[in-house]
Amino acid sequence: MLWLISAQLVNGIAIGMIYALMAFGLSIIKGLLNIPNFAHGALYALGAYLCYSAVSAGLPFPAGLFVAFAGAALAGLVLDRLVVRFVRAGGYLPQLITLFGAALVIEQLLLIGWGTIGLSYSPPELLRGSIDLGFTLVPRYIAFASLCSALVISGVWLLIERTRFGAWVRAGIERPEMTQSLGINVDLLLIAGMMLGAGLAGLAGGLALPLMGATSTMGGDMMAIAFVVLVIGGLGSLYGAIAAGLMVGVVQSLMTVAAPAASTAIIYLVMIVILLVRPQGLFGER
Amino acid sequence: MPKGGALAAADIVRAAAMVAAVAALPLVIPVNIATEVLIYGIFAMATNLLVGTAGLYSFGQAAFFGAGGYVAGYFLAQGFVSLPLALLLAGAGGGVLAALIGALSIRRTGIYFMMLTFAFNQLVFYVIYSWQSVTGGEDGLAGIRRGTIELPFLGTLKFDDNRAFYALAAVLFLVSMAILIRMTRSPFGLVLDAARQNARRTTSLGYSVHALQLAAFVIAGVISGIAGALFGMLYRIMPIDAVHWTGSAYVVFMVLIGGQRSMLGPVLGAAIFIWLQGLFSLVWTRWPLLLGLFVIVVMIYLPGGLLDLFARVSAWRSRLREQRR
Repeated sequence: MLWLISAQLVNGIAIGMIYALMAFGLSIIKGLLNIPNFAHGALYALGAYLCYSAVSAGLPFPAGLFVAFAGAALAGLVLDRLVVRFVRAGGYLPQLITLFGAALVIEQLLLIGWGTIGLSYSPPELLRGSIDLGFTLVPRYIAFASLCSALVISGVWLLIERTRFGAWVRAGIERPEMTQSLGINVDLLLIAGMMLGAGLAGLAGGLALPLMGATSTMGGDMMAIAFVVLVIGGLGSLYGAIAAGLMVGVVQSLMTVAAPAASTAIIYLVMIVILLVRPQGLFGER
Repeated sequence: MPKGGALAAADIVRAAAMVAAVAALPLVIPVNIATEVLIYGIFAMATNLLVGTAGLYSFGQAAFFGAGGYVAGYFLAQGFVSLPLALLLAGAGGGVLAALIGALSIRRTGIYFMMLTFAFNQLVFYVIYSWQSVTGGEDGLAGIRRGTIELPFLGTLKFDDNRAFYALAAVLFLVSMAILIRMTRSPFGLVLDAARQNARRTTSLGYSVHALQLAAFVIAGVISGIAGALFGMLYRIMPIDAVHWTGSAYVVFMVLIGGQRSMLGPVLGAAIFIWLQGLFSLVWTRWPLLLGLFVIVVMIYLPGGLLDLFARVSAWRSRLREQRR
């Protein structure tokens, strides 16, 4: 039993890191553009498919992850320039319905490009098997995915907290008009934010590929969870999403031991309980 | 606000036109599609009470539509036949669920409210999905029968005939529309409208904004639940997809393409949406792509919805007429 629980705990951390990547991207886009990105799930699916194609074409897996990141970021750029830009003036309801429409288009394009059958991919030789920690076995790929997510999140954290670009981004989130009047091109900043957020979604998709495969509908459920993570973490907090993502992943995985059928419903219950106690989310400010 | 004889007369003309349009609809399109248009029309009007009038951007309305559909569907699938009771249960199911969800989320505003209702929608979805013994889980709730109405002198009304069922949907549609229009023009609706424009100022005028918003949320839940019950009876199955959050997105989209400023807008939106969905799915198996493109194009070029287009066209025509003079 302890064996099973610790295995699920490890699994939960890995899934939680992927949730954290998703929600972090959402959080950046929400912070800068002030919209809930309803195409985030579709970008996640796009990342998984791009990663699959890259490794099928003979590229090493890390390169596949990069392709997933870059491809989704590019899709984010296209989305922003061709679509979101024109509805920005209209309040966020038209914006998110537009993004929802874009998500429909992307998901169908994935079906056209890669076919209707779900794809699966097993991790490269080096990442198969598991590491024995004495009390439990950690599958190598799960260790790799967690490490990789942690590195990327730290990298983005450094970028936002320790660089000039990051200072602009933070300024753009806090006071867009003031930032603009200081001579910083907020429009470019918004594009960069959209690309970064979208790229993180794509990377999460690439990392999830060996764990869950690729299907065109994989994005919808993942996006719903990412929204929950964002709400639990607190909407105003850029980093709350990371802690909340880990928490949701672990809770969900442990619940599969106790009550498998309820493992997804439970995270919504967790969200409700947290909101009753702390309406602003765990790390949000009022 | 209609006051005095002239405007009331205009209202009567409009009401007559609406009844005529509803009566003519099944002559133009297949009767089951016409019924679906009316059902989604009811659902979209209820959603517009929140989105257009109260400014509550709920993204979880499919939960109430689904709750009504499953409650009434379960009741009718168990062998009960009373249609009024089924509709009552559906309305109560949608209303109680809306009261619970609303109580927990109504105080949050803007994006937060939207995300909360969205997450609650998913919770309801997963509960229905996992509760297989009652709801049928992934396969949906099958075996729903259309109930009957017992009338004292006329005997038993049956709705197995699709035209009879259309008549039932038409009556409920017209009644919902009348109630909702009346509601938006009542002091209740005006306060909701004021709170949409400035919640803080409305509160300081002494109105309990949150309580009224919660009331609107519950009313929308009741009406959506009844629409869901009709949907379950129409195809005699309640599909799990009807509760998924995409359903909530679709109904908000119907409201936006039609126009939020009157109850006619959402109905137009629902009609166009159902029609386009049918058309696109005949043309191409990848029809959601066309639907998505349509959504994007409408949002970019017609942010005020189709009613806005009509207003623009008539303004353009009157300008043309003046130039000619």
